[in-house]
Amino acid sequence: MHPAEASTPLASSTARPLLSKPPLPSRLLRRSLALALALSLPLAAAQSGRESTLVLGGDFSDLITLDPGVSYEFTGSLLAGNLYDTLVAYEGNDLTKVRPRLATSWTVTPTASGSRLTFKLRAAKFSTGRPVTAADVVYSLNRVIQLKTPSSFLLTDVANLKVGSVTAPDAKTVVMDIPKTANPNIVLALLTFNVAGVVDAAEAKAHEQSGDYGTAWLKDHSAGSGPFLLNRWDRSAQVALDVNPSAWRKSPNIKRVILRYMLESAVQQSALNSGEIDVAWDYTPDAFKTALKNPKLKGLKTGTFQLQYLGMNSGKGAAFEDPRVREAVRYAIDQDGIIKSLLQGLGRKTQTIIPIGLAGANTALPYSYDPAKAKALLAAAGKSNLSVDFSIPTGSCAGGVPCQDLAAKIQSDLAKVGIKANIKQMVSADLYTMYRAQKAELIMAPWSPDYADADGNGTPLADFNAKSLAWRNVWQNDAASKLAQSAAIENDPAKRLGLYKQLTELVAKDGPFAILYQPYKPVVISASVVGFGRNANGDVRFEKISKK
Amino acid sequence: MLIYILRRLALMVFVLWGVTLAAFLISHALPADPAAAALGNNAREAQLQEFRVRNGLDKSLPVQYGVYMGRLLTGDLGTSLRTQNSITADLKQFFPATLELTLGAVVFAVLIGLPLGILAALQHGKALDLLARIFALLGGATPVYWLAILALNVFHERLGWLPGPGRLDAYSLAPPVHSGLMTVDAVLARDPQVLVDGLRHLILPGLVLGAFSAALLTRMTRSALLEVLSQDYIRTARAKGLKGSRVIWRHALKNAALPLLTVFGSLFGSLLTGAVLTETIFSWPGIGSYATTSAISLDFPAVMGVTLVAGLAYSLVNLIVDLAYASFDPRISFS
Repeated sequence: MHPAEASTPLASSTARPLLSKPPLPSRLLRRSLALALALSLPLAAAQSGRESTLVLGGDFSDLITLDPGVSYEFTGSLLAGNLYDTLVAYEGNDLTKVRPRLATSWTVTPTASGSRLTFKLRAAKFSTGRPVTAADVVYSLNRVIQLKTPSSFLLTDVANLKVGSVTAPDAKTVVMDIPKTANPNIVLALLTFNVAGVVDAAEAKAHEQSGDYGTAWLKDHSAGSGPFLLNRWDRSAQVALDVNPSAWRKSPNIKRVILRYMLESAVQQSALNSGEIDVAWDYTPDAFKTALKNPKLKGLKTGTFQLQYLGMNSGKGAAFEDPRVREAVRYAIDQDGIIKSLLQGLGRKTQTIIPIGLAGANTALPYSYDPAKAKALLAAAGKSNLSVDFSIPTGSCAGGVPCQDLAAKIQSDLAKVGIKANIKQMVSADLYTMYRAQKAELIMAPWSPDYADADGNGTPLADFNAKSLAWRNVWQNDAASKLAQSAAIENDPAKRLGLYKQLTELVAKDGPFAILYQPYKPVVISASVVGFGRNANGDVRFEKISKK
Repeated sequence: MLIYILRRLALMVFVLWGVTLAAFLISHALPADPAAAALGNNAREAQLQEFRVRNGLDKSLPVQYGVYMGRLLTGDLGTSLRTQNSITADLKQFFPATLELTLGAVVFAVLIGLPLGILAALQHGKALDLLARIFALLGGATPVYWLAILALNVFHERLGWLPGPGRLDAYSLAPPVHSGLMTVDAVLARDPQVLVDGLRHLILPGLVLGAFSAALLTRMTRSALLEVLSQDYIRTARAKGLKGSRVIWRHALKNAALPLLTVFGSLFGSLLTGAVLTETIFSWPGIGSYATTSAISLDFPAVMGVTLVAGLAYSLVNLIVDLAYASFDPRISFS
């Protein structure tokens, strides 16, 4: 020991004989200080990590798996986008053009049977340290096709892929052959979704159980090349991601991301105000309005592709069989009032079936709020005193407004034109079972496209044969079906836009829907958070965020 | 006593069988499709059909119940329709969190309710008695969700004295899971920071969940003690010259214990199975929030698993309470 060290008070005190203990109060004080120091050291360490840790609070209870090939929920997609890479991706809020991600470039060439998409891969590594190869891409897509997951239909039914459609001629080239029934532009849009996330094939195979392609393991582990990797997922409590040191998408500032389960908006407000969380995911419209006045917070109106709509059963003998009755409902709804008073501005006015933000959206507003015209249409149809069952879900509707409040406003609007809407509120499972059986007379529901392309709404809302929304509302219009099918496979962008214009106009005039609004998703963040962005697909790139 | 316990345990099997049957019939009486609930609004018909076949939902109800009971006899509670997780594993994960919260609430309820009730009875008609009665009234009448949000707003957001929702601070990661009880696991991991953090996180939800029980215990302790204190044997004990504290502890409280024990037993059972709102507001990953999510998404196997655990918890608590009667009342025997 150095002589100087031996003379320090600490060294002299530790050398004190055991029998000559200091007086009791002094000992207690020293022990208390030591305990306080011991407890405060980890707290101080945690404090120093706060600037590099981003904490989100929200209702993440929809998360059931982190396997990118299986996840089909909002939270799963949000996380998979940061754990895994896809071949192509959207950048920022521009969801009309796909951009390079794992693929640095790609070509689309016509073939005798359809189209061939050829992708060239960049040099990238998985969090396991293994290089990303074309064989990993082939394995990842094939496992989704074979697993028949909830999102498999995107690859099998929409992209018309099957095992063997995707090949790897060399380690950095992926070739995808699709038939004529699939539109290469839609396929590219699908490949941005987490269902096409690239998994480390060797890691997944190493954890395979009974031919499950590693699904059970990937449920709560990660094996991707995204900027983050999974630290742990404490179900119903929190998910913790750590920065992936091998990633090519570097996260220079945020080293850990934590998603805290907080179901209640009031609890999120409390946690954000106290600094416990940096981002609140589910503010109600009223709370959002209040947050905008707080200089310590920033309120973001982030886009969505969701539509809140009324569905009208147009089947033979049904209340809305006559197209004039459906038009009357569209004239009777006070959209501006809904958006201003109930949504506090957290919604966009739209009246056509393709959401604003997608190529093919039609921003025309053919219906003004006109109760007199609605009454006249109802009289002409011989339905001046109409009484219908109005089925609505429990909980919050799109945009965070309570469904019963929204339903009450619509009931009041309809009453003004002579339609008596008898509200029947039921849990979503009951509601959709009835809707799927074509038994809903008038229903209020939300809809989001399965993928960021106009066809995600065009086919289900207009083509009766797709057995989706048009079918559930018993609206069969052959012209609309034909237009939807033609637009889906049209490769020429200008022609495609023309087809969607015709389709949206036709459905707006004759269809079984009254679109109420396209909501924004309110996200409230601490003023110290910089670079936070959420696009209409729900993607957030955590690696681009920093904290001041 | 052993024969009594065995007889009760045997009866419990029939009670739990009845619980499974009732839960199964009620669950399946709903006019809703669990496949649609699990796969969502956008799911296509082929997906729904595949889901029904994979999960045995295409079979008749008696067959489904038979399959369920067959699995149950081997200790398998089935697979969640929503998450495809093993229900047994889910319950193993979520039940300890609820148990820890319940124990916290019971500790608060006993620490507050029992002394307050005793003091109120001893100070009958005085200011303290009035205060205790007001507390009992307010504690019993205040909605738990309102109290929870108020407590968070005051003690967490405004004063910053206590942590907010969750079992731990967002910045500290949970220790490895052994028991599922955060405090016990923190001790096993020798992590004092997590232990302190875990205990601090128990205070607000424990107090909120325990408020109603504390109020009820206050009222019951007060009334039971008041009744006993007017008995002849208490007057006799005092006349013999016994000290006041000895009269209260040895003679009055022991005789007032039986109704309190009954109340305590039913309170513990209801706390264990009824912490839904507290768990939701405090983001507590327990069996209450699991039950809510499962019920909303028509996850029948999960709902049945929760119901079974709740039935088992109630039955066991009742048995323990019945056994405890004997130690308080020598007239009770199990022979």
